[in-house]
Amino acid sequence: MCLLKKITLLLFIGLMCFSFSSHAQLLKKLKDKVNNAVTGNSNSNQSQSTNTTTNNTTSSGSPTNTKGGGLTNTTPPDVNQQIADAEKSQASGDYSDARYSIQQALMGVELQIGKQVLQSLPATVSSLDKDTTQNKVMSTQWGWNNLTIQSVYKKADQQLTVTIGNNAMYSGFVDMYFNNSMYMQTNSNGDNQNVKQTKVKSYKAIITYDDSKGYTLLVPLGQSSLIVWECINFATEQDVMNAANAFDIDGIKKMLGEQ
Amino acid sequence: MKYLIILISMFITTAVLSQDFKTDIATAKTSYASGNLEDAHFALQQAMQEIDIIIGKQVISLLPANMGNFSANTKDDNVMSNVGFMGSTIHRTWGQNDSVDVSIIGNSPLISTLNVFLNTPLLGGMMSNGNNKIIKVQGYKGQITKSDEGNGESNYTIQIPMGSSLLTFTAKNTTDTQITTMANTLPLQQIAKLLK
Repeated sequence: MCLLKKITLLLFIGLMCFSFSSHAQLLKKLKDKVNNAVTGNSNSNQSQSTNTTTNNTTSSGSPTNTKGGGLTNTTPPDVNQQIADAEKSQASGDYSDARYSIQQALMGVELQIGKQVLQSLPATVSSLDKDTTQNKVMSTQWGWNNLTIQSVYKKADQQLTVTIGNNAMYSGFVDMYFNNSMYMQTNSNGDNQNVKQTKVKSYKAIITYDDSKGYTLLVPLGQSSLIVWECINFATEQDVMNAANAFDIDGIKKMLGEQ
Repeated sequence: MKYLIILISMFITTAVLSQDFKTDIATAKTSYASGNLEDAHFALQQAMQEIDIIIGKQVISLLPANMGNFSANTKDDNVMSNVGFMGSTIHRTWGQNDSVDVSIIGNSPLISTLNVFLNTPLLGGMMSNGNNKIIKVQGYKGQITKSDEGNGESNYTIQIPMGSSLLTFTAKNTTDTQITTMANTLPLQQIAKLLK
């Protein structure tokens, strides 16, 4: 008898739950219908917004970035301020901070030198225009050895990339080429000479050709600097030499402080 | 008395270097103001070298006068500044025939390799040849390496990265316990603070 009572009670509770559940479902259906009647295309909007949300998430569920204007260009370190900071830190015996400030000042000066060099480059070379959006000046904190300046010239399928670097290691390799008889001028297949020594405005140079890369011309400057021209889709070696001759190599050398 | 003389001479050297620093900074300011960037750059490099040497001398002054039973060869103390590829180099030896040796190289190119070894247990295990292992000295992770000299003697080297600087501590004809005990007498925290 007692067992029967318990079963009846459980059935009653179950029925109540089902009733509430179906009641809620009914209410939701009603609400949706009213919404449809009022907005007309509520469902389609909802499905669109759901799709948009789905497209902006990765498989792991985290959102992908679709906004943001990127970083703003910051001015190079303020050299005068950094020098003043270095003096202050040195006077108070905080040599680690003084060193950091001098590094920052050096970086500021290097970036300014790099910008000066960039501005001195010609606007047009062999009818190729300078793509100013690709101008680059990079400096590391290690002072002078890693200053890199790059500019790109373009027209149709032709491109000339000039890279001016201050790196003793690379420059040293090229010098080694000139000064070591072991590195003889080589013939790749007996007919076509793909690496050879040449001169650009009285500066010793090396020019190379590769079917996939085009022409590359390297001129070491002074003790540790180097200019590299990479020329894509240039018809002849002479075209490359003409393009290189359009650059004021003496001026660049002077700006980099090379002798 | 001997150490008093060393300290006084170190103070005088630091004072002279500080003077050079001020001269170089003045030159940098004048050159920069007149738009002579190349000269400003050179003067700043000189100033940085002097700061490196001052820091190096301060580090040297922190190193213990004795290492185990060995006395410091203070006349061989060496601080060099190399602007460019590497930073300063600080070097001291103890005992006859440089039985114990410490060198600290700023901006060492070996740092990244050593850090990978120290922080990747799997790689550390693979690269280990039985003669090296990872240890901690005063809380700083480092690598200890044993090398046999073929005459029954073993030399040990402890390498500890500190930021971008690498401290290398070597002891000849010793054991790993002895070298670790000696390395524990180096004021690593103070050195790291100066080199940061």
